[in-house]
Amino acid sequence: MCKRIFFILTLFCILPAFGKEPTKGEKLFALKVKPLFAEKCNACHGDDPEKIKGDLDMLSRKAILQGGDYFADEVLIPGKGEESFLYLVTKRTEEDYEMPPKEADQLTEEQQWWIRDWINEGAPWPTDERVALIQEKYAEGVKMTTSGGLSDEWTDRRYKKEDLWAYQPVVRPEVPGKGHPVDAFLNAKLTELEIEAAPEAEPRLLIRRATFDLLGLPPKPEEVTDFLAAWETDKEAAWADLVERLLSSPHYGEQWGRHWLDVVRYADSSGFANDYERPNTWRYRDYVIRAFNEDKPYDQFVREQIAGDEIGKREDVEMLVATGFLRMGPWEHTGMSVAKVTRQQFLDDVTDSVGQVFLAHALQCARCHDHKFDPVPTRDYYSMQAIFATTQFSEVKTNWLPEENLEGMEEDKRYHEMRKKANEDLLASLTEKQLEYEAKWFEEKGLPWKSKQEAKKAGAKPKDLPGGKLFEKPEEFGMERIGRKWQNRFGWEMDRYEPVAYTVYNGKTRPMKNNYNRIAMPKNPMGEGELEETAILGGGDPFSPTIPVEPAVLSAVPGGLEFDVPDTVEGRRTALANWIADPENSLTSRVMVNRIWQYHFGQAIAGNPNSFGATGKKPTHPELLDWLASEFVEKGWSIKEMHRLIMSSDAYRRSTSHPEPDVVKEKDPEGTSYAAFLPRRLAAEEIRDASLAVSGELNTEAGGIPIRPDMNMEAALQPRMIMGTFAPSYVPNPKPEQRNRRTIYAHKTRGHRDPFLEVFNQPGPDLSCEMRDTSNVTPQVFTLFNSEESMDRALAFADRVLEEVDDENAAVTRAFQLAYGRAPNGEELDASLDHWRQMIAEQEGLDFEPREFPTEVVREANEENTGEFFSFTEKLFVFEDYEPDLQPSEVDARTRAFADLCLVLLNSNEFVYVY
Amino acid sequence: MNSRRDFLYGLTSSLGSVAFSSMLSRDLMAHPGPGAQALHFPKTKAKHCIFLYMEGGPSHIDTFDPKPKLTDLHLKEFTREGEKQSAMSSGKRYYVQSPFDFIKAGESGADMCTLWENLKDVADDLCFYRGMQVDSVNHPTANYQANTGNQFGGDPGIGAWVNYGLGTENEDLPGFIVLPELAHPQGGAANWANGYLPTSYQGTPLRPTGSPILDIQPPKGITREHQRKNLDLLAKLNQSHAEEHPYHDDLVARMKNYELAFRMQTQVPNTVNIDAESEKTKEMYGIGSEPTDDVGRRCLLARKLVEKGVRFVQLYVSTWDSHDYIAKAHGSLIPRVDKPIAALIKDLKDRGLLEETLIVWMGEFGRTPDNGVRGGGKAYGRDHNPDAMTVWMAGGGVNAGHTIGATDEIGAKAVDQVHHVRDFHVTLLRLLGLDDNKLTYYHAGRFKQLSQFGGTVIDDLIA
Repeated sequence: MCKRIFFILTLFCILPAFGKEPTKGEKLFALKVKPLFAEKCNACHGDDPEKIKGDLDMLSRKAILQGGDYFADEVLIPGKGEESFLYLVTKRTEEDYEMPPKEADQLTEEQQWWIRDWINEGAPWPTDERVALIQEKYAEGVKMTTSGGLSDEWTDRRYKKEDLWAYQPVVRPEVPGKGHPVDAFLNAKLTELEIEAAPEAEPRLLIRRATFDLLGLPPKPEEVTDFLAAWETDKEAAWADLVERLLSSPHYGEQWGRHWLDVVRYADSSGFANDYERPNTWRYRDYVIRAFNEDKPYDQFVREQIAGDEIGKREDVEMLVATGFLRMGPWEHTGMSVAKVTRQQFLDDVTDSVGQVFLAHALQCARCHDHKFDPVPTRDYYSMQAIFATTQFSEVKTNWLPEENLEGMEEDKRYHEMRKKANEDLLASLTEKQLEYEAKWFEEKGLPWKSKQEAKKAGAKPKDLPGGKLFEKPEEFGMERIGRKWQNRFGWEMDRYEPVAYTVYNGKTRPMKNNYNRIAMPKNPMGEGELEETAILGGGDPFSPTIPVEPAVLSAVPGGLEFDVPDTVEGRRTALANWIADPENSLTSRVMVNRIWQYHFGQAIAGNPNSFGATGKKPTHPELLDWLASEFVEKGWSIKEMHRLIMSSDAYRRSTSHPEPDVVKEKDPEGTSYAAFLPRRLAAEEIRDASLAVSGELNTEAGGIPIRPDMNMEAALQPRMIMGTFAPSYVPNPKPEQRNRRTIYAHKTRGHRDPFLEVFNQPGPDLSCEMRDTSNVTPQVFTLFNSEESMDRALAFADRVLEEVDDENAAVTRAFQLAYGRAPNGEELDASLDHWRQMIAEQEGLDFEPREFPTEVVREANEENTGEFFSFTEKLFVFEDYEPDLQPSEVDARTRAFADLCLVLLNSNEFVYVY
Repeated sequence: MNSRRDFLYGLTSSLGSVAFSSMLSRDLMAHPGPGAQALHFPKTKAKHCIFLYMEGGPSHIDTFDPKPKLTDLHLKEFTREGEKQSAMSSGKRYYVQSPFDFIKAGESGADMCTLWENLKDVADDLCFYRGMQVDSVNHPTANYQANTGNQFGGDPGIGAWVNYGLGTENEDLPGFIVLPELAHPQGGAANWANGYLPTSYQGTPLRPTGSPILDIQPPKGITREHQRKNLDLLAKLNQSHAEEHPYHDDLVARMKNYELAFRMQTQVPNTVNIDAESEKTKEMYGIGSEPTDDVGRRCLLARKLVEKGVRFVQLYVSTWDSHDYIAKAHGSLIPRVDKPIAALIKDLKDRGLLEETLIVWMGEFGRTPDNGVRGGGKAYGRDHNPDAMTVWMAGGGVNAGHTIGATDEIGAKAVDQVHHVRDFHVTLLRLLGLDDNKLTYYHAGRFKQLSQFGGTVIDDLIA
């Protein structure tokens, strides 16, 4: 803390008298050129005296006049701006001499002219004191008080006011006009742009929009009918009732929890070399879903994830599970890892993650230097990191919570034990083999023993003992290795069935050899190990600590500099959580309402929800954002209240079709006026869930250990390497009702993603995803049009409809209602009936055999010790009892032909887009 | 929203201009991608890259960087400890000499062990580089760094960057194709991911067996005519839907994708079919005989893909991780790749394609001159070494016939022309006409690039 106070004091030092008025050139230098050099040039040209690019030092006039390797006195010719290379290189006309080198860093024309004009003025270079005086008196822009950078230059630099919007306290703005506040803000902008808003969307589209938005599922035909009737009577009441019904559905948490899991990078495995299963992270997933369903106040949600273990008691299971958040990033520590490096990897990951998730700051930018654009000194980065210096991993035994779903565990365990047993048998047979070879070895050597163990016991000399394994064949080496690795994995995976919390505790950092198993919490957290003392790391290197820092929070955020984080072992994270969850924190509420807004409207108010800094997109409606942020806090940080508020606006109910699209395009080229609602393509999970819902196969059971849906068989059995061996194959759950649950419950393996979901832009689980990409790529067609999964859905869909209705017209109508929430028009009905008839003719000629499923898979591998190939067989026990979804061989040509129609519906644009 | 690149594989704008007959023809139009409005270095020769990735970390000491000094030190023991050491690298260790003999190949006198029976014939086409270093001693992190620049994964693969920069020459094939082995490498598909770039830049693995692209064919029994009828109804429904939403461009893009996919179903299998190649060619690549068949097939396929205008082909050959018994392990791996790779270079040369194709051969790191005593035994292998390795390049614009940089006398550490892998990445982009400093993409608060924070071109690798 002392250092911080010192910094504040220096800012208030009285400055010496000014003296002579500065010249134009001096002012240009002090106000423009010097800060420009500092921002764009000095990193390579002087800051690090060891590494000066092209030997051109730009820290003094004298040094620049000397020039560098490539140009000498042409670099700076005082009085001749147009001829000086210092100016010319910024114009980027000469290949290889564009400066700064990175194109995204290039100078604006105005900035280039500052340099030229300063040189024309004789390139004056006043002393640092005089520069400070000039800046004090004349500088534009705003200074920011922070904990201080590594240089005074950085500490004293100025920012454009508009880049600092997120550091301004949230002040509730006056609502401009009457009516719904959201509309008032949006309409003000529309009026300014002279754009009329689009009319209200049709009610049948509105129920589809709202249902997908809040639940990620399509509305049932009956729900549509009821809603339309209610709308006829009283549309406002109908709408309000609809929103309430959806918000109270347990599926709401599944959909909005999914958004949160995108941001925090949820996965069920560790990634990297071993990609070990994390057998208990699903409890965090369910915690998140519950939190949304219960409308847990967001400030509490923040506190629990950052410091649940501290604010709750150690026996408060939910609190322990919640802090699993801190460990969501990919991480492992193997025998080839250096402990300090992987520890630092976690510290960097958690610091950046807390920054991006809660504060919309990618803090990694300040890991090696003071932030280039934002008022985030590298000191703040490490001060934030120091908060986690006592945070340690542990997987602790707890009780199950009454709300946790334990269904299916026994059966899953039964199959898992079969796998485990088969592997143990394999290892046992190899041990026997090994003993045979040992006996042979001793015999050949004429030694009296039968085994290595026996020889050791008898005190045999090392030269009379076999070194290493005595296997002869590549498959013996290879299988032994597989067996050993799998034994370890399968053993750890038994934790799936145990009430273990994937969590943290506070204490010393213990030495770590490797992490191949559950990490137990030590009896005495302050026993063995090192109490970490955080320091600014030179170049981010854990072996290069420089200035020590104490735990603290971001100093540019109002209140941050004064905020006190204890440096005790316990309580650092509680302090951080309280600071983040403080209504006065200028970032937190804005960050969350911005995310909520984005998922409703398909675009955020501030366009980079993970980056509120200078490089992020500025808010299109800053006052609306602030009003929402303030409202959010006022309504007790209730996320559901925000849904009610936003969804009750006219803007939310607007049509996606604007009557004058050309006018809108011209006056609102960026498309941020909200004159019309944006259509959106369903997310990967929604496509699968909606197909299952429509086909009648969806099992809506909530929570529990991860399910394993059907995956393209080639992908499921795709061999993949983990450290030193193959990963066990992916096998789906044996029964349809276990597999056909919502996608959020599907096992998410970092190194083996479901191609169905991946192709529809499910983000990779390594980086925080602020917004999903929805690009259209051709393989999506192969997946949705050709895959077994799609065929299965279409067939079940057809079978369901034909079970429900007999009449052909009614069947087509029902299919349309299920898929689109509307009946077909005359033309569609005719075309569909006609298609059905044609396809019956096609299908009648086809004969389908029941599909066969592999009960084992043979792997070919190159054995690392011998370089030779060997093969081994992996048993897939689940497939011995596997019950496939409805198969073509089980139905008649009429049903299969109707399934052709259903497949078309599931592939159609009307199905995969929401309006 | 609809960038030009979306058209390429993502396809959003009109397909009308592309005649059906020219769908698979070469040099349709070599337009740069959105990452490079015009080629950064217009005079560049290389237009394609075949990246031969030797996963596991091949030993420079036993392939291209002989260390006679190790013969003197062979089996000499020492102990290493320290907080910078992993469990693998610490403890009791001993030096290991190379089990292989070396020759000076070609007029350039390139060092090669004698197992390179075929590659030696093209020695003068290769540019060896011995100065490279990486950060990580672990496979997946080192793989990620070699393939994406970021050792922690999540970033775009090199092939994704190259396509983002150069765009495509063939609208009907992905611009970034991966030819993995049967098994995917450690770290999985994240090695060829699009990262934060749009999904259309993702590497598409062509599977060595089964369906080359997942689900490219409909299930058994469904004929093309059958599918056509379904597609016709789909087009009809989509058409009337699109009329209701005339300003929603994605709808049209998605409709066109269905037609393109329908054509690709027949075209891709043709493209990847190597049966039609002459027996002589197949023999040259070692197809049909062991141990070269698998790598031979994929090398030949790589040539075909490059001919079809695919920008970036990455081919994986794994299990170079010879901690134990390197004589046997490397001794069987080198003959797997030697003939096919030499054939690839010769074949490209004969077809006049070597000039415009950059070939890179590298692994994630090199190997140590010493080995750990494990389980009380000595197994004559080598551990991971991030400080020294050998990579080589051939083809478009490389300084062929030279060996650049050097390691110390035991091959423990690069000592001359020492560069981090980021500089190698920058050089690779440069050879393809791209400037790493211009090839950037905004993500998480800053403009990111393959080299992460910028790097320098290794001039001596370029002719």
